[in-house]
Amino acid sequence: MLAWSTAAPAIGSAFLASIVEVVEAFTIILAVATLRGWRPAVLGTGAALGLLGAIVLALGPLLDRVPLHLLQLIIGVLLLLFGIGWLRKASLRAAGVIPLHDEDAIFASESAHLSEEARRKKTSLDWIAGITAFKAVLLEGLEVVFIVIAVGAGRGLLWPASLGALGACALVLMVGAFVHKPLSQVPENTLKFGVGVMLSAFGMFWTGEGLGVEWPGADLALLVFALLFLGAGLLAAQIARTMQPEAAK
Amino acid sequence: MTILTDVLSELFGMFVGDARLSAAILVVVAAAAGTIRLTGASPLAGGALLLLGCLAVMIGAVLRAARLRARTARAERTQG
Repeated sequence: MLAWSTAAPAIGSAFLASIVEVVEAFTIILAVATLRGWRPAVLGTGAALGLLGAIVLALGPLLDRVPLHLLQLIIGVLLLLFGIGWLRKASLRAAGVIPLHDEDAIFASESAHLSEEARRKKTSLDWIAGITAFKAVLLEGLEVVFIVIAVGAGRGLLWPASLGALGACALVLMVGAFVHKPLSQVPENTLKFGVGVMLSAFGMFWTGEGLGVEWPGADLALLVFALLFLGAGLLAAQIARTMQPEAAK
Repeated sequence: MTILTDVLSELFGMFVGDARLSAAILVVVAAAAGTIRLTGASPLAGGALLLLGCLAVMIGAVLRAARLRARTARAERTQG
């Protein structure tokens, strides 16, 4: 029987991380659909989801063959690289050092880019639109696949983590179908901050376990790591904000 | 070909967005592993080193980027 205290962080992390990635992919799919209709958008999206599914099916059995400690160490280090990278960017955005992600601006620039591509290459816009949707879903989906595998594989939580990711896809698609415009109201940087914190905490946990560390409090250590990374991220953002010339005035 | 290139650069960027940050994290992991395997210290000491090292690396990476951005902004203002 799966304990909620073990499964909830994996499901939550996969859900939140997937929301961020799916919102980004949805913006581009919507640009494609608005410009050329839903057919190329759906075809491109479906093809990318099929390819992502094939990647997961191919990787799944391979993971079972890797010894657990080695798997935890490899995934832990990758999660540290990925999670701390996200946390760094989210802290810099929170401090105003780099600009926030703007879904409306991305929607406008993607639409302009599609029209320009069609004019320049003189090929069917439907084809270019389909490929654009395919690439967006594939690239954002790769991050989702990695996060699901990373937070799920170390403890046999692949299915709960996948459910978290699927829940995020369903939620974004439902809200997107309802509002029918880029989801610019999603507090993306707050989500990214939270996801960076969770992925870094998982990375710390798995890397330590892979090196043979028995963390005090077992799974509860994850919560402590998350709080420490959250505090460090907020502190770094606070100091970074005071370093900017605008703040010095 | 473009799609394959994009996929590979996306995968690379996922883990090595900031090369210095990635290198620093790998150094911390290697130091923690070395502490546990080579010095005979308790694994928990290696774990503490890993945790504190990663927190320090993260804060350092944010402050370095903020310092660079501030310097660039000041230089632009002076020129403008």
